[in-house]
Amino acid sequence: MPEPRIVSVGLSPVGRTDLTGRDLFSAALAEAFEGLPDPAEVVEALYVGNQSERYEHQIMYGTLLAEWAGLRDVPAERVEGCAAAGAMALRRAVEDVRAGRHDAVLAAGVEKMTAGGTGGATDSLSAAFDRALEQRSGITAPSQYALLACRYMHEYDVTERDLAEIAVKNHANAANNPRAQFQQAIDLDTVLGSDYVAPPLKLFDCAPVSDAGAAVLVAEESVAADLVGTDETVAVTGAASAAHNLAVAERNLTFPEGAAVAAERAFEQAGRTPGDVDVAEVHDAFTICEAMLSEAAGFAPRGRGIECARPPGERSEGWTDVHISTSGGLKARGHPIGATGLAQAVEAYEQLTGRAGDRQVEGADTAFLLNEGGVADAVTVTHVLEA
Amino acid sequence: MSERPSPLGPDEVTADSPFTLPGFFDALSEGRLLAAACADCGERLVPPRPACYACGSRSLSIEEQPRTGHVVSYTAVHTPPPAFADEAPYTVAVVELDSGARLTGRLDADYEDVAVDDPVALTVREPDEALRERSLSYETEWPLHVFEPR
Repeated sequence: MPEPRIVSVGLSPVGRTDLTGRDLFSAALAEAFEGLPDPAEVVEALYVGNQSERYEHQIMYGTLLAEWAGLRDVPAERVEGCAAAGAMALRRAVEDVRAGRHDAVLAAGVEKMTAGGTGGATDSLSAAFDRALEQRSGITAPSQYALLACRYMHEYDVTERDLAEIAVKNHANAANNPRAQFQQAIDLDTVLGSDYVAPPLKLFDCAPVSDAGAAVLVAEESVAADLVGTDETVAVTGAASAAHNLAVAERNLTFPEGAAVAAERAFEQAGRTPGDVDVAEVHDAFTICEAMLSEAAGFAPRGRGIECARPPGERSEGWTDVHISTSGGLKARGHPIGATGLAQAVEAYEQLTGRAGDRQVEGADTAFLLNEGGVADAVTVTHVLEA
Repeated sequence: MSERPSPLGPDEVTADSPFTLPGFFDALSEGRLLAAACADCGERLVPPRPACYACGSRSLSIEEQPRTGHVVSYTAVHTPPPAFADEAPYTVAVVELDSGARLTGRLDADYEDVAVDDPVALTVREPDEALRERSLSYETEWPLHVFEPR
């Protein structure tokens, strides 16, 4: 079976920008293809992760970005899965290469969340919830995750201070990430003193609203070697996806079972275990997520996921030594919904090719990506990457 | 001897069937909260649907739900969607009914007064102007389920 490799990556500035979705993609594409032949000579298919047409009133993102990349008459489509769309696009590219359908496929993601302001974003995101019972009750994304946090804190010995430590850690990591939306460390008091958005979650427990575009080129091993040389590429050894429940009340509130299934499948494909992972990007849309997903991924024992804020070596028995959210995570690197899953891949690519600068985890050779869509594990897409 | 329910036939999927949302909300307007009860694993699904997410079975029957339950989790919405701006902050909760079915809904109580395991009761309310404005054409008469402390 052909081995898919990530050849190159690109990410636009992340945050509040004056660029539109297609322009954010142009920025990412320019980075990904710096020094490479034209996309028209390389790319055989395109998948675009994009959450919602409600921001820019634009659908047909497959066609639009194919055109903007100079690609004519290639298969090009938007994939949808709320915040998992970026990883969904990556998985499609990976599977096309594995199946021998195409030699090189571009996975892209764009979101222009700031188009409608915070109110517009709140409204657009609410479409990810169940219409029948949740949306009509006035539910918001923070309140959905607050329902998980409330129960988690009820069952385990966890406080708001514990959650705040996760935000502090991720902002500290992002201070070393020139790509991050927020590049300044914050202190515990700032997090604990911020206003409640949906108790127990406060402003600093929540990822920001962000614009960005991302591009990841996936190619079959020999094509990859021709383009940039094998040392500059990263192997994708596991790629999996699991759709679970939409309504939050139908889930296991304290353990994301769907995420655990997706993680197990990716590890099984790769022939790896959670203990093998050096760096992981998990879906910290809210601080509580990083704690729960550490458990779902198999890095932490049940109920001890909250220790994700502690460095490796200072965690309870049963925890692995994984470094989580070295990029700053969704929290501090930013969370441009349709592009987020690919921004995670950018961090993993940089860590595994020794390009992570002050964030570099020495000897990192195995990375794990976990990207969720909807609330928590409504859908989860996972990847294992190896140097 | 009870008959095991068959999968929903295509002719049965109409707006009168509680297995569809219009049918579910019609029953709710009459004060009846309906679930699909799975004959194979016992899961209760609200609203009803043709297949059980827990075990995959399509052997489901409609079952009226008890109107009492308890709080499993709760929070308050401080940053509402624009249409609900006037009502914020309001309390929402995941409630487990006495049948084991769980659903999310508004809780008509101040956040400070609520705790996990609090007993609650279901009420059914007509949609107010704000909710009607947010409703799609076929949703305008759908009632809203709201829990109250009991």
